[in-house]
Amino acid sequence: MKKKVISLVLSAVMAAGMMAGCGQAQQAAPAADAAAPAADSTEAAAPAADTGSAGGGKTIALVTKSAGNAFMELLANGVKEAVEAAGGTLIVKDPSAATADAQITEISSLISQGVDAIIVSANDENALSAVLNEAKDAGIKVLTADSDVAAADRAVFVNQADVNLIGQTLLDAAYDLAGGSGQYAILSATSQATNQNAWIDAMKAAQEADPKYAELELVEVAYGDDEPQKSTDQTQALLQNYPDLKVIVAPTTVGIAAAAKVLQDQGSSVKLTGLGLPSEMQEYMGTDDAHSCPYMYLWNMIELGNLTGSTAMALANGDITGAAGEKFTAGDLGDYEIVDVNGATQVVLGPPFQFTPENVKEWADKGM
Amino acid sequence: MAGKSGREISAVPEGGLKSKILSWEGALVLILIAVNIFGVIVSPVYNATNVLREMPKYLAEAFMVFGMGYILVLGDIDISVGSIVCLCSTVACFAGNAGAPFPVVMIACIGTGLLCGLLNGFIATRFTELPTMIITLGTQIIFRGIAEVSLGSGGSISMSDTTGLKALATKIGPFPLSFFLIIIGAVIFITILNKTTFGRKMYACGSNQTAAKYAGIEVQKMRLTAFAFMGVQAGICAIFLLSTLFGANTTTGNGFEMEVIAMCVFGGIATTGGKGNLLGGFIAAFIIFCIRIVLGQKNVNTQLVLVIIGLMLILSVVIPAISQAFKKKPKV
Repeated sequence: MKKKVISLVLSAVMAAGMMAGCGQAQQAAPAADAAAPAADSTEAAAPAADTGSAGGGKTIALVTKSAGNAFMELLANGVKEAVEAAGGTLIVKDPSAATADAQITEISSLISQGVDAIIVSANDENALSAVLNEAKDAGIKVLTADSDVAAADRAVFVNQADVNLIGQTLLDAAYDLAGGSGQYAILSATSQATNQNAWIDAMKAAQEADPKYAELELVEVAYGDDEPQKSTDQTQALLQNYPDLKVIVAPTTVGIAAAAKVLQDQGSSVKLTGLGLPSEMQEYMGTDDAHSCPYMYLWNMIELGNLTGSTAMALANGDITGAAGEKFTAGDLGDYEIVDVNGATQVVLGPPFQFTPENVKEWADKGM
Repeated sequence: MAGKSGREISAVPEGGLKSKILSWEGALVLILIAVNIFGVIVSPVYNATNVLREMPKYLAEAFMVFGMGYILVLGDIDISVGSIVCLCSTVACFAGNAGAPFPVVMIACIGTGLLCGLLNGFIATRFTELPTMIITLGTQIIFRGIAEVSLGSGGSISMSDTTGLKALATKIGPFPLSFFLIIIGAVIFITILNKTTFGRKMYACGSNQTAAKYAGIEVQKMRLTAFAFMGVQAGICAIFLLSTLFGANTTTGNGFEMEVIAMCVFGGIATTGGKGNLLGGFIAAFIIFCIRIVLGQKNVNTQLVLVIIGLMLILSVVIPAISQAFKKKPKV
């Protein structure tokens, strides 16, 4: 009997552990709801799936990076707007973890359901190759948004902004906040996130290209895995390891919010910039010593979603194939052209937008 | 005790058809059938073709049920298997990209698993006073750490030559190759555990290590074997996982250990050792796969899927315990 009790307790602990994994994601959800009141994308999508492709409209599926990511929910809302405006239905799939592995499971299930197009924000550049090709063979249009895969595995990539432009912008922000010289660190998401790595590489390349940045020193690229707790730990480690650190650049919305809280709570003189959501960063933005973030950047995620949704519908309807030079109309956003960047076709939304303490509230109120 | 069902749900005597149906394994088969009927009813696309197409990714994990079953029967636990899978896939990718022919890649992958398993087993048998939970917690961090360091800043590697891996992912008829291997493995390992002296010795060690030792069973040797075997299974899991992922990254195999332990426990193998039937773990694995596929096709929130599996796990342990408590009451 004693053994039975022990085994019971052990199993209960294990089951609790399994649930804790999802508890985390759900804790993050209320914050996301605050950011976007209409962020019930997952729930809203579920009934739509029941009808399948019935009714003549196209069924588009969006595989996000992970659940509980406010950034992804805004994108999902934008995609939903555009897809529904064009008479289609959207299924949103949030993988159980921010891994390629979990995304493969979701995509595989979507192939079974026979959707018309799959939009992926990739957690890994290469790992999705096999499953995406399987989708293509099944006649499903594949496109990526926010984070790309190898060009051969998808029709087109909807890019938020040109990679080099983002790299240059972030580097200039670090240069400006550090006062032209000193140490800066990068707080990234996961070490294999395609977009993060591309931006970081672009920052490094821009720094090497111009002697103006010679006095600026990148001390470390830390990875917070887009988890609030790990990002907090990594920020604290950076502060401890580099007492002379002047600036932290966090090109991830989860990372920048976690870092902002750490810096402000500790009253640190380290300045923060990067890519952040106005609604999450509102209380940390200011040019005085009491605030950690003087300015940051982001693109309009809802517009990126709109553009992605329109692109998916255009692909599903056969209006475009994803080849360079093709043109299509993306609802209210106007006309877009598919361009070729180093052999990879993409649609580019526009330059990153600067958020300052003056305009942050206005954007936060818009739900971003 | 050997081969006895992990959980009793009825007081029928051993042997005979009735006891087989009323055993935990019998109940699991019924649950598996029920899940499939449920799948066909709720999801219009739940059919053999789609299930078999979605299955390979899950099947890789099922290889580890055998190893984990053995370890749990011995009364030990191994929570480093997810990390072993990560390290094995990483080594395989490096070997493949260095130009090694595919058989060598496979040997490197499974060999790495064997080495990791041997290390776990070596520490566990050398320092018998240490709980294996703690030992494998340590090696879990070490193995993934080694993989992370060798993967470097990118954190991801992909296999440049995928011909061998694609051959592994081939299908025989509608069935993936790994499906047959799993069935063959199940037959062999369940027979070993239930019908051979080696298997009976394992149950003896798990029930009472001291008694087993005085009965002349080389307990530590059995434990070392089980850990090494687990490592090999993790290596096999890694190579089949590679045949769907074509690459490795720092998160490969994350959480596999808990999923595999969950399958075993759901299948009736007690974490305290000496009890349970590997067949149960094997069926439980398929129940969990089918549930995931059905709920995935219905676009149920993946977090909710985890909650459902967690609840099933708790119920599977609680219900037999409660029914037993009721049965025993009059005797007291």
